[in-house]
Amino acid sequence: MSRRRLLNSLGSAFGVRRSPLRPVARWTDRNLGGGSRLVKEELRHVFPDSWAFFLGEIALYCFVILVVTGIFLSLFFEASQTPTVYEGAYQPLQGSEVSAAYNSVLGLSFNVKAGLLIRQVHHWAALVFVAALIIHLLRMFFTGAYRKPRVINWLLGIVLLITVGMNGLFGYSLPDDLLSGVGLRVAYSITESIPFLGPWLASIMFGGEFPTSGIIARIYPAHILLLPLGIMGLLGLHMGILWFQRHTEFPGPARDDRTMVGTPMVPAYALRTVGYLLLVAGVLTAFGAFLQINPVWLYGPYTPFDATTQAQPDWYMGWMEGGLRLMPGWDIRIGWFLLPAVFWPAVILPGLVFTPLLVWPFVDQWALNDRGFHNVLTYPSQRPGRLAVGAGFVTFLTVLLLGGADDVFANIWNLDVVTVVHALRAMVFVAPPLVAAVTYAIARKRSERWPV
Amino acid sequence: MKTPRSEGIEGAAGGPLGDRPDARPPAGALPSPPHRSGPPTWPVTLGLVVTIAGAVGFAVSFILGAGNGWIGGFLAAALLGLGVALAWWGRDLAGDEVITAPYPVPHEDPEGRDALASALEQDTGVLTRRRFLFRLLIVGGAVFAFSQVVLLGALGPRPRSSLRTTAWTPGARLVDSEGVPVTRDALAAGGTLVAFPEGHVGSADAQVALFHFVNGDFKPQPGRESWSPEDFVAYSRVCTHVGCVVAQYEDEAQRLVCPCHQSSFDLLDGARVVFGPAGRPLPQLPLAIDEQGCLVAQSDFTEPVGPGFWDEGLS
Repeated sequence: MSRRRLLNSLGSAFGVRRSPLRPVARWTDRNLGGGSRLVKEELRHVFPDSWAFFLGEIALYCFVILVVTGIFLSLFFEASQTPTVYEGAYQPLQGSEVSAAYNSVLGLSFNVKAGLLIRQVHHWAALVFVAALIIHLLRMFFTGAYRKPRVINWLLGIVLLITVGMNGLFGYSLPDDLLSGVGLRVAYSITESIPFLGPWLASIMFGGEFPTSGIIARIYPAHILLLPLGIMGLLGLHMGILWFQRHTEFPGPARDDRTMVGTPMVPAYALRTVGYLLLVAGVLTAFGAFLQINPVWLYGPYTPFDATTQAQPDWYMGWMEGGLRLMPGWDIRIGWFLLPAVFWPAVILPGLVFTPLLVWPFVDQWALNDRGFHNVLTYPSQRPGRLAVGAGFVTFLTVLLLGGADDVFANIWNLDVVTVVHALRAMVFVAPPLVAAVTYAIARKRSERWPV
Repeated sequence: MKTPRSEGIEGAAGGPLGDRPDARPPAGALPSPPHRSGPPTWPVTLGLVVTIAGAVGFAVSFILGAGNGWIGGFLAAALLGLGVALAWWGRDLAGDEVITAPYPVPHEDPEGRDALASALEQDTGVLTRRRFLFRLLIVGGAVFAFSQVVLLGALGPRPRSSLRTTAWTPGARLVDSEGVPVTRDALAAGGTLVAFPEGHVGSADAQVALFHFVNGDFKPQPGRESWSPEDFVAYSRVCTHVGCVVAQYEDEAQRLVCPCHQSSFDLLDGARVVFGPAGRPLPQLPLAIDEQGCLVAQSDFTEPVGPGFWDEGLS
C-alpha cells in the first residue's frame, strides 16, 4: 500500500475527505527545517520478522508499566520511618505502632481505590522485567547476537540488568515490612564483610549502625529517580544503537551480513509492537488483579527483634540468597584480621557471575579468532561450545536459585534441611559441568548430522 | 522461519486486512470467493469488542467501588483485547510488504577507518600542542574529581566503637519485651524468653535469648563458669552470619536456628555452630543474679555481636 493511500485512507476511514495528516506533516516539516524527510525515511525502517525479537520488547514495556504504576504509587507512599499508629481498614493491625512508610503502604493497599491493584501490577512488572531481560540476554547469547558490531549493546545490556536488579531490591525494601527490613539487614551485613572498608561503607550507605531511622528516606529517591534515570539512559542508548545498527536476522534466503530482509515499521511493525505493549500490560494487570504478591500486611511491620520463617527475596535475588545459604561458615582469621565467609557468596559470587558475561564477547572473538562483523545470527546448536558454556552457566545459577529456597524444599519433600543443603552443595560443583558435557555431546551430534 | 515473500507479485501479498481499497468488489456485486487463505479477521473484531466491553466494565466497577478482581479483571480484558487486535492486524500485514535494506557496515579502507581519529586530532591539536597546559588540565581535573570523595564522609559516621558495644552495662537488669525485670522465678527450668537491657526494650544489637536450662544439662565453656548462675544463660539473638534474628527455638535438640539461612547453634555447648553458614558461635552475655533475685548483666558482651567485619578481632 502506498503511503499516500495510507494517509488518505486514515482520513477516509471516518468519512473525512482530506486526511488531517497532511496539514500536520506540513507544519512539522516547516518547524523542523525539512525534518519530515528524515521521519519519512524512518517510516520505512526495516524490522526482520521473528518472535525472538520481541523478548527485549517485553522488558521495555515492563519498564513503561513500572513508570506509570510507580508514579501512581508515589502519590501515596510516605518515605519516613516516623512511628505512627495504624488506624486503617485492615483490622488485625489496627492500633499497632508502625512506621509512616508501612502505614502509607497499607493505606494505599486498603483505602485507595484500585491502589492494591496498581501496587500488585507494579510488583509483578518488576518480576517480569528482570525475567524478560534475562531471557532476552540468553537469546542474545545463544544466537551469537553479542558479536561485533553489537558488543557495546551487549555490555550496556549487562549493566542495565544489574541496575534493574538493584532497583528491584530497593523497591522491595521500601514498604518497611518485616521481609524488607530483614533484606536491608542482610545488605548491611554483606557490606560490612568487605575487608578494610566494609564497616565504614555500611555506615555511609545506611547513615550509621543498623537499624537507622533514615534508610527508607535514602532509598526512596534512588528508587524513583536516580536508578530509573539510569535505566532510562541505558535503555535509550541501547535502543538508539539498535535503531542505528538494525536488528540481527536469522539465516535465510537473500539474507547476509550486509543485507537485511524484513517489514517496514509502518504500518505492520508499529501495529504489532503497540499490540505487544498492550498485551504485556494486560497480562500484568491480570496478574495484579488475581495473583496476590507481597502481602505486606501479613508479614507485619519491621522490628529488629522479629523474624519470620521461609522468607524469600524476590526471585531474581534467589541465586545470591542460595549462595548465602550454601556457603559453609569458613571465616578466615589471620591474627586479628577476619575475612567473614559471607564475603565469598555475597561479594565475590556476583563478580564471578557478571564478569564472565561482560568479557564473553571478547573471549569469543579471541577463541575463534573472529575479527569480522556479524548481522546474521547462528542457531544455538551450530556452536556446541558456546551452547555448552551457556547451559553450564545457567545450571550453576539455577542450582543456586534452588538453594535460595532450601527450607521450602525441605518442607515440601519432608526432608531435613541439612540433607537438602548437602545435596545442593554437591550439585553446585557437579551439575554445571555435567549439563555442559551432555549439551556439548548432543549439539555436536546434531551439527554433524545437519551441518549448516 | 517465514520465508520472505517477493514484492510485487499480484495476489501473493495482502491478507484480508491488508486489502487495497481498490481491490474491493464493486458495490452490489456478489462477494467473490476468497482469493487466498489469509488469517481470519474475527480475532480483531472480537478483540476490539472485548476492549470496549472491558473499558466500560472497568470504569463502572471503579465508580461502584468493586474489588480489585473486578477492576483489574476488566482493565486486563480491555488491554488484552486491544493488544490482540493490534498485534493480529500487524502480524497479518507483516508478510504484506517484505523489503530488503543494507546494514550499516564498518569502514573497510584505512582512510575511512581513521577518518574520525584524524578529524579529532586536527580539531583538538590546538589543545594538545600546549603540552604543559594540557597535562596540567588533566591533572587538575583528576585532583578535583578525587577531592569530591570526601563528601561521602558526610553520609554516615565513621564506625568507632559502635559495632563492638551494646547497651549492656555492668549491673544492667534484664527486662522482657514489656519492660518488666526478669527475676529467677519468672522463668521456670526449660523455659526461654527474649530479654533486653532495662531502658532499651527493642534494642537491635542488645537483644538476648534467655534460657533457664534444666539442672545439669548446660556445660559452661572454659572461662565462662560464672556466666550462667543457676543455669540461666543468655545468648545474643543477632545471627553471626548476616544479622537476622535467631528466633527459632528447637527445644528437643536444644538448638537455636536462624530462620533466614538455617544456621543452627547448640545451646548446651556455648551456642556452637552445628550447621549452616554462620562462622562463629552466638556471643554469650555474662549473667548474675542480684539481691532482689533479678537477672543482671555482669558486663557488656565480651566480643562484638552480629556478623563479622575485618578488624573485629581488634578490641
